[in-house]
Amino acid sequence: MPSASDRTRGSGLTTALKIVGILALAAAVLSFPSFAANPFILSVGVVIMSYAVLATGWNFVGGFTGYMSLGHAAYSGLGGYATALLIIESGINPWLALVLGALLTAVIAVPVGIASLRVRGASFVIVSIAFVLILQLVFQSWGEFTGGSNGLRVPRPFGPDVLRPEQHERFFYLHAAVLAIALLTWWLIDRSRFGIGLKAIREDEDKAQALGIPTFNYKLVAFVVSAFFTAVGGGLYALWFGFLDPIFQFSILIGSYMVLMSLLGGIRSLFGPMLGALVVGYSVEFFKNEYGDTQFHLVATGLLLGLVVLFMPDGVLPALAALLRRFRPQESSIREVTQAELAEQRNSDPITQGAKR
Amino acid sequence: MTALHEQGAGQQESVRIGLAATGLSKAFGGVRAVHDATVAFHHGKINALIGPNGSGKTTFFNCVTGMIKPDSGTVTYYGADITGKAPHRIARAGVGRSFQLCRIFPRMTALENVLAAVRPPSKTRLLASAHHHGDVARARELLSRVGIEHLEGAEARALSYGQQKLLELAGVLMADPDTIMLDEPAGGVNPALIERIAGLVRSLNAEGKTFIVVEHNMELVMSLSDHVVVFDRGSQISEGPPSVVQNDPRVLEAYLGV
Repeated sequence: MPSASDRTRGSGLTTALKIVGILALAAAVLSFPSFAANPFILSVGVVIMSYAVLATGWNFVGGFTGYMSLGHAAYSGLGGYATALLIIESGINPWLALVLGALLTAVIAVPVGIASLRVRGASFVIVSIAFVLILQLVFQSWGEFTGGSNGLRVPRPFGPDVLRPEQHERFFYLHAAVLAIALLTWWLIDRSRFGIGLKAIREDEDKAQALGIPTFNYKLVAFVVSAFFTAVGGGLYALWFGFLDPIFQFSILIGSYMVLMSLLGGIRSLFGPMLGALVVGYSVEFFKNEYGDTQFHLVATGLLLGLVVLFMPDGVLPALAALLRRFRPQESSIREVTQAELAEQRNSDPITQGAKR
Repeated sequence: MTALHEQGAGQQESVRIGLAATGLSKAFGGVRAVHDATVAFHHGKINALIGPNGSGKTTFFNCVTGMIKPDSGTVTYYGADITGKAPHRIARAGVGRSFQLCRIFPRMTALENVLAAVRPPSKTRLLASAHHHGDVARARELLSRVGIEHLEGAEARALSYGQQKLLELAGVLMADPDTIMLDEPAGGVNPALIERIAGLVRSLNAEGKTFIVVEHNMELVMSLSDHVVVFDRGSQISEGPPSVVQNDPRVLEAYLGV
């Protein structure tokens, strides 16, 4: 049985390793633009970072509460359109528009959350899909305001003297900054009392409520925070890409990607959605490049999800962590410790002893 | 508010009523799971709620704790109406409960399972670290009290059924309830563990916790409880000290069908 000091030393080492890992990760991400061979690779990098922001945003509700929203494109789409329309209609600073647009989306998410978080499981998924489809129809039909199916041109935040590769690089770093803030927020919630409450909801909502957790309020807050970060991701993407079309912004596919990335990386881990975004984002771009405009990239992505769900149901990161643990010979599994200690405890337990007599 | 009420059957002792239900009913389709149930549980005592299978004990539990909204009737807690309130409000009012067949958070560690329970709001700061020193110390103390402190870092799903039951109890205690409702605490566990759970109930009761226990193990009920309520077909058919209830012909009829 490991003593308390062993445990402290072990966790100290783990913390040090974690810090080194995070620094290495940050260095790798930040140095990417200087390694990118050409603007195309750089633009793929921006797309992947955008996916990472969206998936991490999704994971505030999906990972913590287990409510699988397939319609989170509603919030990235709203964030994008809100940012663009605020710039176009009121001429405010694009970065202010980005923040205001995300806040506005968060406000819209409140009534949507109140309505949809009343139902669980499949019903919640269906409500989330319904909302994104409604938005798609509205944004398509309301042509004079949203540009309708012709799309909406988003004014560039940087002047015309900033060339395309330079644009990509700036947006890459902007996405990285937003991602860092989202990850930090996720981490803060994860280790908080609020976070434990959210995870309890994911595990067993009725039980959580019986323990005094105001589950509905908790879910709603997580949902709104999730909508906010997803909207920031959508707004930033709009500013970068410069064009919005309802059919792509409010598509179930985008929402499904967020779910796929998070599941693939591991919804219980901080960096899971980000890793998933890297794998899925890269594969999608790769398949698109390889098979052109066919729908084959969807089939390939679907296969990927199938494989992950079959062999790594908790995602890639937890699977890797489990693999690492297996290579540490001195450490026995939880179950073994449990039973050894159970035997020990049985011998020393006065109540049990009394009962045996 | 204190509801004092004289018990019948010639008893002189005045009893303080904690949790009580009046005319409580709940039907699922045509099945009247709880039907016009009027029950009063005694403050500071170990109350038992017994009855044949399907007599509505668990539905009654769920109605009282807000998990199910009753069709009619009222539930009061020390005189205050708590009918139809959200489960977390009832929990925060001081009623803790366990579930039949034991419910824990399987993918969280034993320690986190206990930390998840919410103590009265005044002591809570939401964005404070969950691993706040005082809370962790208290959670460990409770794990040690139920005898599974050595498992605090294990995922709850890796625990044996008996250990999970003890873990659930520790979680309920974390919220510091005044009244603890246990749904079949002895169900599915070995005799040694039953003794341990009974010992915990007795010592907690001695510290002032009121218990309401649904249980099928008659030996345990009779040795443990101070006050027994018997349910049949969704309502109370008898109540009193174990010795009185044991010999009540209505109870024998309900159980044996004579």
